[in-house]
Amino acid sequence: MILHNDRPEDLETPVRYFDSYLTPVDVFFVRQHIPRPAPIDPETYRLTVNGMVSKPLSLSLADLKKLPQYTVPAVLECTGNGRGFYSPKVPGVQWGRGAIGNAEWSGPRIADILKMAGASSGAAFLETDGADTGLAKTPDFIRSLPMTKALHPATLLALNMNGQPVPTLHGFPARLLVPGWDGTSSVKWVIRLTAAAEANKGFFMNPGYRYPKYALPPGTPARPSELEVIEGMPVKSTITAPEDQSKAPLGPMTIRGFAWAGEQSIERVDVSTDGGSRWREARLSGPKLPFAWRLWQIEWQPADPGYYTILSRASDSAGRVQPIVAEWNPSGYLWNAIDRVGVTLEKA
Amino acid sequence: MKILLPIALAVLTASAAWSADQAVLDRGKKEEQQSCVPCHSLRLIHSQRLSRATWSKELDKMAGWGTVIHDRDALLEYLAANYGDDKPMPAPAISEDGTGKK
Repeated sequence: MILHNDRPEDLETPVRYFDSYLTPVDVFFVRQHIPRPAPIDPETYRLTVNGMVSKPLSLSLADLKKLPQYTVPAVLECTGNGRGFYSPKVPGVQWGRGAIGNAEWSGPRIADILKMAGASSGAAFLETDGADTGLAKTPDFIRSLPMTKALHPATLLALNMNGQPVPTLHGFPARLLVPGWDGTSSVKWVIRLTAAAEANKGFFMNPGYRYPKYALPPGTPARPSELEVIEGMPVKSTITAPEDQSKAPLGPMTIRGFAWAGEQSIERVDVSTDGGSRWREARLSGPKLPFAWRLWQIEWQPADPGYYTILSRASDSAGRVQPIVAEWNPSGYLWNAIDRVGVTLEKA
Repeated sequence: MKILLPIALAVLTASAAWSADQAVLDRGKKEEQQSCVPCHSLRLIHSQRLSRATWSKELDKMAGWGTVIHDRDALLEYLAANYGDDKPMPAPAISEDGTGKK
């Protein structure tokens, strides 16, 4: 893994691990704002469900497993994936292309948990607290989700990741899975769900994880009154092969990668091998689903040796197309410029 | 003499400033150990390249979160000198785990 921070662990997946539909759990990226909590005993674990509910609950892991279980294949991507590519530089973990993964998440629906608790129809937000707490005066990691998204049938309290219990680093024994939204929405080590009239006002809701309503000149500060909560993620693609700045013998090769589009699904991916002058449509594989990524590939028969700039550009079911230039923002969120690798082909 | 004196003064001032800077940088490095390490590893800092103004804002943010910084000026000087946005990005650090896997 690419090591951005040892304590707490912030780990990025090297691109070479992305060649499968599901990202293996042991190479899945890790993002932590504050130290993870002491290991949670699954026997004594309780989930508190309170706030605007008629029946406040304290649920054990066994209670959660008794509810109908659903499986959702979905990308989880750090809001700041690609931050390291922004210029001027912005503070935060300098992620490259690997703060992302695609997994199969299973567990009960948040909607079923809230129904059991008798959540009020007047509750506009779901507040979620993880068991992690900040050092010194670092704010607690609490996030709010609009109730419409919390009640979406694909929004889960995930107990499993790729068929095994969610590992400690990823939120054992239960984490939110908010498909298509930024990774920070998918709170780990969930111990409390609160139905509320208003969104939480803590740091991780404001100013954290907000994006300028109007684009700013690069390098200028945010205008606090014009920041909005980030919701669905943009359309994006990544080239997994050939590896960036690699060398290969001249001859036919397959260019491969993956593409994803937040709450939308991927319609097409175009690839250029000449720096963006000419584009060809790649072949997509896997089901066309919202939330999950699709793998793509295209055959290439270069005639000459030399250095080539390969680009990929995804389009989605909402008509969004990856831009050439990602929009600079003071926190370095939502990088989604067309992907780019360079490869040198040498005479065989 | 009229010409030489200002030059001599300038040289003296410059070398004094340089040694002062080095002392400040040393103090800044010590301050980093004392005030940053309790909450997170230094890798988080050393993997970034930011302008002096942005480092200054980061120090304000951390102070707001309870970090006690005794020698703020020295710490800022040290960060700007070593991890400024005019410095090249470091090569990514790769952990040992998982390297045996395909």
